[in-house]
Amino acid sequence: MEDTQGELAHARRRFISTLISLGGLAVVSRAFGDDFASLSVFDFATIPADTGDRKLVRYPQKTDLILLTDRPPQLETPLRYFGTDLTPNDAFFVRWHLSGIPTTVDLRTFRLEVGGHVSKPLSLSLKDLQSKFEAVSLVAFSQCAGNSRSLFEPRVPGGQWGNGAMGNARWKGVRLKDVLDAAGVLPGAVQVGLHGLDVPPLPKTPRFEKSLEIDHARDGEVMIAYEMNGELLPMLNGFPIRIVVPGWYATYWVKSLSSISVLDQPLKTFWMDKAYRIPNNADANEEPQHLSPVTVPINRMAVHSIFVRPEPDEQLRTGQSYELAGVANDGGAGIRRVEVSKDGGQTWNDATLGADLGKYSWRRWQAKWTPPAKGTYRLMVRATNNDGETQRTTQWNRSGYQRDVIEHLDVAVL
Amino acid sequence: MSHRRIALVLSTAAMGVTVSAAVLAQRHSTSASQAAAKAGSSQVHSIVLPKYPPEIPQGPNLEVYEKDCLLCHTARYVSMQPPFSKTVWQNEVKKMVDAYGAPISEADQALIVEYLVAVKGVEVPAAATAPPK
Repeated sequence: MEDTQGELAHARRRFISTLISLGGLAVVSRAFGDDFASLSVFDFATIPADTGDRKLVRYPQKTDLILLTDRPPQLETPLRYFGTDLTPNDAFFVRWHLSGIPTTVDLRTFRLEVGGHVSKPLSLSLKDLQSKFEAVSLVAFSQCAGNSRSLFEPRVPGGQWGNGAMGNARWKGVRLKDVLDAAGVLPGAVQVGLHGLDVPPLPKTPRFEKSLEIDHARDGEVMIAYEMNGELLPMLNGFPIRIVVPGWYATYWVKSLSSISVLDQPLKTFWMDKAYRIPNNADANEEPQHLSPVTVPINRMAVHSIFVRPEPDEQLRTGQSYELAGVANDGGAGIRRVEVSKDGGQTWNDATLGADLGKYSWRRWQAKWTPPAKGTYRLMVRATNNDGETQRTTQWNRSGYQRDVIEHLDVAVL
Repeated sequence: MSHRRIALVLSTAAMGVTVSAAVLAQRHSTSASQAAAKAGSSQVHSIVLPKYPPEIPQGPNLEVYEKDCLLCHTARYVSMQPPFSKTVWQNEVKKMVDAYGAPISEADQALIVEYLVAVKGVEVPAAATAPPK
């Protein structure tokens, strides 16, 4: 643990006060004996106590979500909303980069401009997209590149997300390929640049903008979505249309998409060249004292799994059956196996997989467990995808991206 | 947010720094946007953002921090962070200037770092310090 004494003391106080509120001091001594110092060995595998107040707030079209920032809004989904195959729109996480976010969209004047290296530039209304192109539908998991950043040690600056900067939804819209074909991509195109209605607070601030390689943009899977779980998108999730890049981190899923520019040169922007970059290896791994000299733009999502139940502060009871549950995802091969350990990784058992909603969907999992005796148990979960890729036990990078380490959770059994 | 802070932000904007209308609209919702929200069932879709300003801790050079940093983003960008070393905070401030174009003088940058170290600093050896991004 790299925590300072002060942080540990804070975490300890918070944890103890939670226990006291749940059942009095007797519970504390039963669970841990009288040696409170031993609490410092617990890794809460959850949000460190120093990370803001994480209070629940309610934004328009959204239910109570965890507040990270209010200008621009960054809202995290509480774990309890991950108990269904599709994440409700009002519970879906929110992440904007620049304070000038769209709060009003007039569909009479809103147009998606498609231009650049094309033979026939287009200006499309929402109705054009809905009526002039074939509609397609896909369940796809979305996840912030910095999801779970607060769990990295040593800590890194950035949005201090827990595990809730993610969600799974059924998207409906049109293929980006079909729109590009209608615009007539000219020979020599190399990338597609994407940006939305959000505007920077200062003239010198680079507008939020991302690019995809032209072949990726035309793979027939990347989508311009106008529906999410059968409804229009919430304003804070990118109304009226957003890009869906199945299997890729959400930084590419440009919200309130207003411009598609076909490029004959790679896009030069802070958001591709400096931000959202990871060490150039499969696990986005490096060491604080030996940073990777080469970085690349973050891309396909890694194999990843989390606990939804129990939640980090939850306590279980000896001899009572409990259903461990969670979700697992990867970058598009599909999850084939999830295993759970209750002894810190010494032994593993297969979890039962939930519905298969397609290779870009997350996969829910569950596993029954009856804690045999009082004490503290280190629960762990790891997933394997259809390509045989699984998860690693340690990982760190300077920006706190692509966290895909095997998750552990220290649970008190009373 | 105190009236003093609102006044500070507004006066900073009035001093000539360009602030997008969207930012101001966000902070000071108008009856016009309320009306637009009611028209949401038609072709105009609108929301009014709530305000959740954090408590801003006292510290040295608080006024500089408020003037230079909170123009573009909420103080929660700082309040949600764990404590970091001075090096990390220096790099964060530098990023705001170099990457995001924040018009902050070198003198002000140093004052802001002083504030950040005072409210979210940590004195630890390098092992516990995140390196610069």
